Amino acid sequence: MAVLPVIASGRDIRLDLFRGLALWFIFIDHIPNNIVSWLTVRNYGFSDATEIFVFISGYTAVIAYARMMQREGWVRAAARIYRRVWQLYVAHILLFVAFSAQVAWVSIARDTPALIEEMELLGLGQNPYQAILEAALLKFRPVNLDVLPLYIVLLAFFPFVLPAVVRWPLAVIAVSLAVYAATCHYDWNLPAYPENKVWYFNPMAWQVVFYVGAACAMLGRQLAWLDRFRWPLSTLAVLYLLFSAFIALSWHYNPLEQLIPAWVARQIYPIDKTNIDILRFLHFLAIAWLVRLAVPPHAPFLRWRIFEPLRRCGEHSLQIFCLGIFLALSAQVVVAQNEDSIVSQLGMSIAGLLIMSAAAYGAAWYKRGPAIEDAA
Amino acid sequence: MNRLVALMGAVMALTLGSGGASAELKGCRASRALLDLGNPLEIARTAVADERQLRVVAMGSSSTQGFGTTNPQFAYPFQLKLRLEAAMPGVAIHVFNKGIGGQDADEMTARMKSDVQPERAHLVVWQVGTNSAIRRVPTDQFAARLRAGIDIGKSLGANFVLMNLQYVPAVVALPDEEEYARVMGEVAREKGAGLFNRFDIMRAWYKDGMPYSQFVTSDGLHLNDFGQKCIGKLLSEAIIDTIAPKQLTGAPHTPH
Repeated sequence: MAVLPVIASGRDIRLDLFRGLALWFIFIDHIPNNIVSWLTVRNYGFSDATEIFVFISGYTAVIAYARMMQREGWVRAAARIYRRVWQLYVAHILLFVAFSAQVAWVSIARDTPALIEEMELLGLGQNPYQAILEAALLKFRPVNLDVLPLYIVLLAFFPFVLPAVVRWPLAVIAVSLAVYAATCHYDWNLPAYPENKVWYFNPMAWQVVFYVGAACAMLGRQLAWLDRFRWPLSTLAVLYLLFSAFIALSWHYNPLEQLIPAWVARQIYPIDKTNIDILRFLHFLAIAWLVRLAVPPHAPFLRWRIFEPLRRCGEHSLQIFCLGIFLALSAQVVVAQNEDSIVSQLGMSIAGLLIMSAAAYGAAWYKRGPAIEDAA
Repeated sequence: MNRLVALMGAVMALTLGSGGASAELKGCRASRALLDLGNPLEIARTAVADERQLRVVAMGSSSTQGFGTTNPQFAYPFQLKLRLEAAMPGVAIHVFNKGIGGQDADEMTARMKSDVQPERAHLVVWQVGTNSAIRRVPTDQFAARLRAGIDIGKSLGANFVLMNLQYVPAVVALPDEEEYARVMGEVAREKGAGLFNRFDIMRAWYKDGMPYSQFVTSDGLHLNDFGQKCIGKLLSEAIIDTIAPKQLTGAPHTPH
């Protein structure tokens, strides 16, 4: 039998920290017109927190299941992955119900026909039975409930790629890129509800972020090979980040926008999110490259107490993600009710992050409790 | 955690009670000249006056479908329904959304009959042009498809309002987007259709200093919630002005 690749053991706390950061960004960015969004990556370039979240999910999937597969076999690892898929599915359905209930509650509390209309607008009103069926099939995903279904589909497919990614990570990247290119070229997507809708995050395109993340986890030390090109790569990355920051800021300042030559605009637009435009993916890779250089795995500041809430949120990403989406809706309602006042934006953003952090500490506290058999 | 959520709920309930007018759609405007559809929409006007109903088919691509909004109901067709209902109490307003993302004039003309006929539409709002321009469909072929589509709809007894391209970075960057907008105006005049000049309306927003981030999603192509709601509002105003509902609501109307 061939020598098995070595898989890094021990927790890379960079993953927790940056996943926590992505969850914070996702919450903040889901409050429309939120001034706090200026603290997130979104306004400074093409990519946003979604790329961070999906990449880290791919990375941690390998960390979590590759060793398990080597020690206990593929069947065991696949079974554990599907248990995780089931948890994600349950979380998504619960979030769907809680989210819809919140919309209903707000509509009733405000007693305004327009809002009750708006709730109907979530698609539940016109044909509730069909909508519930389609929600169970992940085809009906109202507002902001798109990310977990993407993650579920990606992870459900993962057991079949896991053996390959452990042995031939570069080949997996190549196949993943090919599927991505074909998806963009032939416009493949999965069906959604209502008819003629598509998945807002197309799993066949977004898998490229997940599997590049997964392959990076396997490549580990081999990535150091790239360090020979550290300076040229870093220069390119910085230039690209500056370029994309210029474009992104031009959406906010017309005088900047007018400086962009037509031929450049023709090349870059549209910057598709559904099929993760290559500009978005490159933007994320540029950030990831620079972060990799700037933040070594054992950088002392990673353990600073001030970052502990972020790490805690990252450790309990599923719960915190769901809570964040739920709270973003509450914040949206309150901010709208206060005429988009800046105070309400700041207040709701801070309140939401505090609640998310408190919940993450709560989840950690539960986990530290007396060990219980969790194989229910 | 549950207690915190409950607390949050209580805070919300308090805030909700305070009420207050919404400040949304700040800067949503268009000059009266830009809102002139250039056609009296006789069939729609008669339907409102005599039948007390108006049946509208919104034919189009992603703008009509609402891609890019946080809620498909923010897309202009539903906004149109809400605003027509508010402006014409007692008139039954039906808006049928026939938007399919990515389609161009060819594909929409092909389904014009099957999508308009069953709804017995008085008015077809046809949002078109952007995908044809992106795919560089030759403008004479584009114009021919428009004429064919309008002929089909008219033979089914509907008025038309053509909605032209959106003024967004991905469209502005095209070499000849204005040519498509111009062709649509020509075809509208020639075929007795109305024209909702979305391109010039949105260009006026931009020229007035409104940044793209206010009305476009980050892909640089699709309208966001604000863009959609505002287009829905302005389209409603243009249609209401044209079919003059103010004379029709309230006092009994005189047949014409």
